[in-house]
Amino acid sequence: MKNYDLIIVGAGPGGSVAAKTAAENGLKTIFFERGRNPGEKNSSGCGLGPRMFRDFPKMMKELTPEECPSMRAGIAARNYFINKDDIVSGYIMARPTESVSYEPAKSWITMNVYRSEFDPWIAKFATDAGAELKTSTLIVDLLKEDGKICGVIDEKGEKYRAPIVIGADGVISTVARKSGLRKRWAQNQVTLTLQYDFQAPSEKIDDIMGDETLAVWWGSNFPASYQVFFNDGFHQGLGNWMNWWDKNPLYYLNRVINLKYYQRLLKILDAKPRELQSHLLPWLDYPFNTHTDGVILIGDAGGFPCPLEAEGIYPAMVTGKLAAEIASEAITSGDVSKVTLKKFDEEWQNTSIGKEFEAGYELWNIWKALPFSPKETMSWFVPMIMEILGGIFDWSQPHAKRVRQIASHVKSYMPKATPFIMTYVFPLIAKVFEDDLDKLMDPKKIMKVLPKLLDMLPQKKKKRGG
Amino acid sequence: MKIELEDLTKRVLGTGDFITIDYAKCNNCDCCLIICVMNLWRKKEGKIYIVDDYQSKCLECAACYQICDAGAIKFQYPNGGTGIVIEKG
Ligand SMILES: Cc1cc2nc3c(=O)[nH]c(=O)nc-3n(C[C@H](O)[C@H](O)[C@H](O)COP(=O)(O)OP(=O)(O)OC[C@H]3O[C@@H](n4cnc5c(N)ncnc54)[C@H](O)[C@@H]3O)c2cc1C
Ligand code: SF4
Ligand code: SF4
Repeated sequence: MKNYDLIIVGAGPGGSVAAKTAAENGLKTIFFERGRNPGEKNSSGCGLGPRMFRDFPKMMKELTPEECPSMRAGIAARNYFINKDDIVSGYIMARPTESVSYEPAKSWITMNVYRSEFDPWIAKFATDAGAELKTSTLIVDLLKEDGKICGVIDEKGEKYRAPIVIGADGVISTVARKSGLRKRWAQNQVTLTLQYDFQAPSEKIDDIMGDETLAVWWGSNFPASYQVFFNDGFHQGLGNWMNWWDKNPLYYLNRVINLKYYQRLLKILDAKPRELQSHLLPWLDYPFNTHTDGVILIGDAGGFPCPLEAEGIYPAMVTGKLAAEIASEAITSGDVSKVTLKKFDEEWQNTSIGKEFEAGYELWNIWKALPFSPKETMSWFVPMIMEILGGIFDWSQPHAKRVRQIASHVKSYMPKATPFIMTYVFPLIAKVFEDDLDKLMDPKKIMKVLPKLLDMLPQKKKKRGG
Repeated sequence: MKIELEDLTKRVLGTGDFITIDYAKCNNCDCCLIICVMNLWRKKEGKIYIVDDYQSKCLECAACYQICDAGAIKFQYPNGGTGIVIEKG
């Protein structure tokens, strides 16, 4: 039996930041990883968000291409809109906009780097701080004495003892299972996300994509699919909640790959499939059951990815740091009870992550109803959006007539768009602006305004001069 | 475009069995048949099973375990240092 102050299961970004923080606080810390190296079991998009660089500046400053050769900054992002005939009917490209308030968010949207490089890089901060990393080791159970959790047991039966165990062991968390905090996610709390990695020459990516290094393919026949460019390749992936799939998930990903437009892109990029990955990703409207006596769950194990887009690395790092700080205090005070560890919830709720979850349900719900409901919603949303964006630049009629045609056509989508706006958009607006939903959604008010608004749209111009 | 999946994964052998099915709990809902990207779950004469060579094909995503509300699929990650190696995650 080996004794520690703190045990952390998992050496992903969450576990490594927790281990670093704990070691810096003087705790005798060990963190476990089932892979031979951190990162070799992990699959992400993988874009790092700018908040990581804002909130962990000292560390992130050291992320360089020498350390992580696959690094590539995502300055411009493209949104492809694909209609129900699988035709790319338009796209919007965007760079960080004028309202973005800090660096590096002004300079790029995401920093992309493979996990096989990023995870070992971040784990080194923890070992440098004095934490012990034990790789090739699977934790299979929690050590209990008189029913109280006091450590972990690995697959060889080796026991490790500590007053607190941090579960940083990702989506299928042994710590969550064995502590009784969660047996299994509900099917609408976790997504299956699969992706291909394609290999492509750096020069081709530079020449063809320029500073575009991120794309979302908004489909009418598949859930929104992301594309993330690295130095010598890119990911193409998609996901949806477990209870959504009616066919092998690969069928949907292959539908993206087999778009004519996509095939052309593969050809000009000289891209070849290099790897296939499939991973679960928690995607909740609100994290729950994050701690109990002697246990705290962080990152994916705690259900912390963002409710709208499931950015999960930054939340794992933030919750990892907090958990280690709270564990340090609790261990020093000698009280590691659930009541004391409740502080973890109070603290994460006060962070950027907590702010995100304040509108958690509304964000989660709109993502579910829009990009993750391709047939039900995207199939009319895409032509509607493109009617507006693309319809004007057309020479088939005098432009004024085109505007009327477009308005009239957009009106035909209203029977679908109106309930959508009422159910998903208004509640989100109400939450974000802390406005009164009842006031916003007052049917009397809406019915008074809406028909008038709609009637205005397609009206034909009166002929001038009789 | 047909992508050959066989060449797209690497692994360290020696996992041993890490997925098992408990027939007493299986209610034949067929969810595992759909969810497995590698198509490793099959049904024969009304009985669900996982292919014999799943250890050399499985992506360790645990989707089969997660989808089985009946709790019939037992899943534990393979022993440390064995199984799938993701090089470009
Ligand atoms: C396909 C996909 C795309 C994504 N894209 C992005 C993105 O672009 N940007 C973003 O921010 N987030 C993204 N995410 C989410 C992000 O990957 C996760 O939220 C993040 O990795 C969570 O970090 P973590 O440290 O909590 O857990 P993980 O990164 O999952 O780390 C857990 C670690 O614990 C180890 N482990 C598990 N069980 C045991 C055990 N019993 N014993 C020992 N070790 C164990 C694992 O091997 C792993 O290394 C994506 C997720 C997926 C699946
Ligand atoms: S998901 Fe579970 S219950 Fe359903 S068929 Fe598969 S093993 Fe049986
Ligand atoms: S873990 Fe994933 S790849 Fe392996 S059998 Fe289960 S669903 Fe299939």
